[in-house]
Amino acid sequence: MKRTILLCLLCMAACSRAPRTANEVIAIPVRGLPVSPADPAWEDAPELAAAMIPQDLVEPRLLEPSTLSVRVRAASDGAAMALRLEWDDPNKDDVPGPSRMVDACAVQIPVKIEPDLPDPQMGREGKPVQVTYWRADWQATVDGRGDTLRDLYPNASIDHYPFEARPLEPGSEVQREMALRYAPAHRLGNLRSGPRDVPVEELVASGPGTLAPSPSPDARGKGVFGKSGWSVVISRKLPAGLEPDRRTYVAFAVWQGSRQEVGARKMRTGWIPLLRRAR
Amino acid sequence: MARVYNWQLGREMSFWYPEARPQRQFAAVFDVNKCIACQTCTLACKTTWTSGKGQEYMLWNNVETKPYGSYPLAYDLRLLDMLDAQEWNGGRYEGRTIFEAAPAGERVLGWRPEDQDYAFPNTGEDDCAGQVDRGSFMSLPHAGWFFYLARICNHCTYPACLAACPRGSIYRRAEDGIVLVDQARCRGYQECVKACPYKKVFFNPLTGTSEKCIACFPKIEQGMQPQCFANCIGKIRLAGWLSRPEQARADNPIDYLVHIRKIALPLFPQFGLEPNVYYIPPVHSPEAFNRQLFGPGAGEAVRAYRSAPGDPDLAGLLCLFGCTEMMVTRFRRRGDTVTGLAADGAEVVRVPMSEPVYVRPAFDSKQGLWRRNCP
Repeated sequence: MKRTILLCLLCMAACSRAPRTANEVIAIPVRGLPVSPADPAWEDAPELAAAMIPQDLVEPRLLEPSTLSVRVRAASDGAAMALRLEWDDPNKDDVPGPSRMVDACAVQIPVKIEPDLPDPQMGREGKPVQVTYWRADWQATVDGRGDTLRDLYPNASIDHYPFEARPLEPGSEVQREMALRYAPAHRLGNLRSGPRDVPVEELVASGPGTLAPSPSPDARGKGVFGKSGWSVVISRKLPAGLEPDRRTYVAFAVWQGSRQEVGARKMRTGWIPLLRRAR
Repeated sequence: MARVYNWQLGREMSFWYPEARPQRQFAAVFDVNKCIACQTCTLACKTTWTSGKGQEYMLWNNVETKPYGSYPLAYDLRLLDMLDAQEWNGGRYEGRTIFEAAPAGERVLGWRPEDQDYAFPNTGEDDCAGQVDRGSFMSLPHAGWFFYLARICNHCTYPACLAACPRGSIYRRAEDGIVLVDQARCRGYQECVKACPYKKVFFNPLTGTSEKCIACFPKIEQGMQPQCFANCIGKIRLAGWLSRPEQARADNPIDYLVHIRKIALPLFPQFGLEPNVYYIPPVHSPEAFNRQLFGPGAGEAVRAYRSAPGDPDLAGLLCLFGCTEMMVTRFRRRGDTVTGLAADGAEVVRVPMSEPVYVRPAFDSKQGLWRRNCP
């Protein structure tokens, strides 16, 4: 009897250590969408180790491979979908600056479910794709890092900002207005940096170079840097028309900041089937 | 890659986009010989445009001492080294531009400075070339030399920043050729920072976008010269409009200096960007050094500049530098007076070419006193 129990325990431990693998991304049904990479709900989702290749179709290209694979699990609560992406990365790069690129990952899905797929590389004209993009510096901001130069360069010495001088009252509308004069991107609503609620961004694209924001209240994310690299959960609404036991396609991209990967310089996958499992 | 004509190279070259000249081209002439590196231009720009968070290290306008100064560090030497030795054949450039030398997978041959490279904007300041040996000041000309090089964005005809941006976030304005980063579209990839050989695009870590000199376009649109021009106390700068070489007008100040007298030359024309800020080269630095910076016409430019005292039109035009905040699009000289005109012919400024000289006798006979220079 004791031996049987021991065997069962060993089997269970082995099962939890070695997840079931899959040849496609399988979104398992869940009641509450897992929002953290450490959520136990991920244990039930099969894992796909998706091979990645350098983006070498359009300039600027990535010529040296870096992240060779990304491990993906998925879950859906019927309205939204969460994907957990994990990849090996020896360096945590979440501080932006001149020549300081940040770690990032993205999930890409065709706008429409149809046999004729968009190009796996950002779609094409008339065949758009939706992209949900997570970035390590945004995660740091969401996790509480401040929005000043000293948060990026702790030893920086700053003598004066004109919009923080008297008689302007700290936090006043007049002061904020004047500060925006020196931050044209923020003035135009292009929030590449600065305070934010979520570390992800929803986008659409119809080919390389056409990426454009497509804000959605459904996009969420959470990234944690561990011993071997990043573990990131990206959640977004379910692709339109993805009924239970139907498939669409998904593609992934990963950037390693310390390797100067940014924009088109990335590791990517091709299209991978994405099954929304009913049970 | 398209084939475009670069008149500064005397030949066609490869560029990412087809040739598209603006209706008129913003351009400027800087007289290197008059710059005293007071950095008033730098401060005028800094207080106007880059006093925000994330812009602390940015100098859209900077003044560096040559041969040793540079901002960011060794921006010019690193690229010259990457490009390696190239050849001019008279006025025709036979070497490769940074577009033609782009490695596989890249749009432009370039490198990206790290944050530390921006940390020493005064490196080499006032350091002269050569050894200052004991007693060397006794002989003329001095063996040691240096000069000040004021730099802004060159608002190039073939901008490397624009070519390198994979998103098309950088554009040249059709009305005046001013090169701008669209702050609504930029995603901060820093490809432009890597590509610009002059390193005049800067990444702002607190907006997450790249930013650069905008040639004070709100002032240009009002017919005024940019801040760094209007505040230059050395009066080294003149802004205006540059015609194509075959359409040069003798009464256009920039055309006259660039195309007709050829005393104002582009900075590093060999890179292939057809930059639109032109420099009157320093008269006292070695011609070989000047040629590396300003191209094969540097020697002739210095000789023509030195002839200005006997050349009333040239001397008169040089007197117009820094005399008005307004853009001077035409000029004329009559006798000892030079007049700057607006495009419609209206007078903008009138300047005497020589100031009256008053001689006071050393002995004041009225007071019965000898005049002294000091009290």
